Amino acid sequence: MKTKRINFWAFFWVVLAFLYFFLPMYGTLDFSLRMKKGVLSLLAYQKVLADPQFLASFRYSAIMGVITVIFSILLFVPTVYWIHLKMRQLRPLVEIITILPFIIPVIVYVFGLIRTFSGPPFQLTLTPFKTDILMVAGYIVLAMPYMFRAIDVGMQTIDVRTLTEAAQSLGANWAQILFNVIFPNLRTAILSGALISFALVIGELILGDFLARPALGPYMVEVGRDMAYQPAALAIMSYALTWICLGLITLFSRSNNNQRQILGR
Amino acid sequence: MSYLELSNVKKSFGTTIAVDDFNLSIAQGEFVSFLGPSGCGKTTTLRMVAGFELPTSGQISLQDKNLTYLPPNKRNVGMVFQSYALFPNMTVADNIGYGLKVTGKPKKETNARIKEMLGLIHMEEQHNKFPSQLSGGQQQRVALARALAIRPQVLLLDEPLSALDAKIRLELRLEIRRIQQQLGITTIYVTHDQEEALSLSDRIVVMSKGKMEQVGTPAQIYTSPETEFVANFVGQINLLPVKVVSPTQGKVKVGEQILQAGKFGHLNGNPIRLAVRPEELNHGFIEGANNLSGKVEAISYLGSIVRIRLDVEGNPISMDVFNERKLTIPSVGDDYQVTFPVEACWII
Repeated sequence: MKTKRINFWAFFWVVLAFLYFFLPMYGTLDFSLRMKKGVLSLLAYQKVLADPQFLASFRYSAIMGVITVIFSILLFVPTVYWIHLKMRQLRPLVEIITILPFIIPVIVYVFGLIRTFSGPPFQLTLTPFKTDILMVAGYIVLAMPYMFRAIDVGMQTIDVRTLTEAAQSLGANWAQILFNVIFPNLRTAILSGALISFALVIGELILGDFLARPALGPYMVEVGRDMAYQPAALAIMSYALTWICLGLITLFSRSNNNQRQILGR
Repeated sequence: MSYLELSNVKKSFGTTIAVDDFNLSIAQGEFVSFLGPSGCGKTTTLRMVAGFELPTSGQISLQDKNLTYLPPNKRNVGMVFQSYALFPNMTVADNIGYGLKVTGKPKKETNARIKEMLGLIHMEEQHNKFPSQLSGGQQQRVALARALAIRPQVLLLDEPLSALDAKIRLELRLEIRRIQQQLGITTIYVTHDQEEALSLSDRIVVMSKGKMEQVGTPAQIYTSPETEFVANFVGQINLLPVKVVSPTQGKVKVGEQILQAGKFGHLNGNPIRLAVRPEELNHGFIEGANNLSGKVEAISYLGSIVRIRLDVEGNPISMDVFNERKLTIPSVGDDYQVTFPVEACWII
């Protein structure tokens, strides 16, 4: 009897959460399909995809996303690895630092970034290339909570210290340990962090807007100001991209299950 | 001649001294075990030989070459860990060949060595499996093969059997000894299991609180423990508080029962303790031997042996007898007489 009641409430909350999440999405999808009067069509999507400015801003954000992911991996994997290996007492402090982007509003952070790095000696807003460097650095900070956590959780599932020592005793140097032992065993964790970071960069608005770069976020706002149906189509496409990223994370997590380290079995 | 030498090695962590004044010479091909309870410094000493810890002072040398400050990857010392530490992303063959790959050995040589090692551990069929597809015993075999594949000058094993169940532990213990003798490789084995140390080793170093208590062959350690700690830690022992009757003749007494110690130094201080192993005791009375009478307190069946616990003048004493069919077991509360040879007991 008790089980039945629990099942009913569990079902109720799941349905409620489902409606809360998917009803607005359904509304947006429905609206995006009604550009042609009286019929459902993909016209809004066609118009978005045909817009050269969309393609340019998407390409720009995608490139920024890939660069952000590469530098985040190169920065965070060795850092988290070193913390796990040699400085475990520092982990709580680093964890607090990594959640700062959640605490400090992005607008405050962006103003600080521009104030500090636009003037001498850095002058990173003088040319588009230098501004892009600043953008990537900013994205790395914004992606830090996701990237750090994903890699940190990955590190916890392997015995970092013993694996390192085993590789050292076999003659491996630090680079060989990192690239042959640590990176491959963190593949799923790195991919999770990378895909979330990529999705974050694709949808990010404030950095691109204030640094006046042709990113997808500012483009979406601009389209939203001038048009009705295309922003809805863009929102659905953006959702789809995020869901594809999450799907890929799940896929890689499953395929990596047979290589988990088993201790003391 | 000494092959591996540890001279005055000391290791401190802050104010805690983990290893103190450690001196040991190991001959080539020798199998030496570090035996002691948790926290005695045995693993720290092993890790200093491997290069994972730097000694606070002292020197470690291998074939007269100073290893003390050499990084672990330059030492040519193979290590097997308690948790196997196989690389989960690599197959059995890749794990075994990893040390050869990173040191730039030719592919042909690497493949030949992998094949040789797989044969040594009888796992030719499993070469393509990942560690997660193997049992604990198989994983530890692969870890052993991986450590041996680089042809190390010294093999270090850090409690390699602790994570395995009893039957596999016994099998693998024999296999480790077989492989060590077949290759003639100098080996240091860390364990807290006295049976493992006694059955495997050429020599045992018993450690306590960071210090060496005794170094000797298994027989020396078991039959002639030099300290109370060694006597207590290795095997079962009865320690009877006794009073000195004749310091020059080694005569002592428990209550009013006079006993003769087989080995004794200066019998100063009262009371002192007489040590005798439970298996040295027999039921009965023999003229000229040591004889004690007491009451049966408890009887424990331990499989092949039966342990009879007696109360002798208020002191507990255990006697081990083989669990034979003809064995007559006394009842709790019975008066019981035990005897043991003079040479089987000593003063601690």
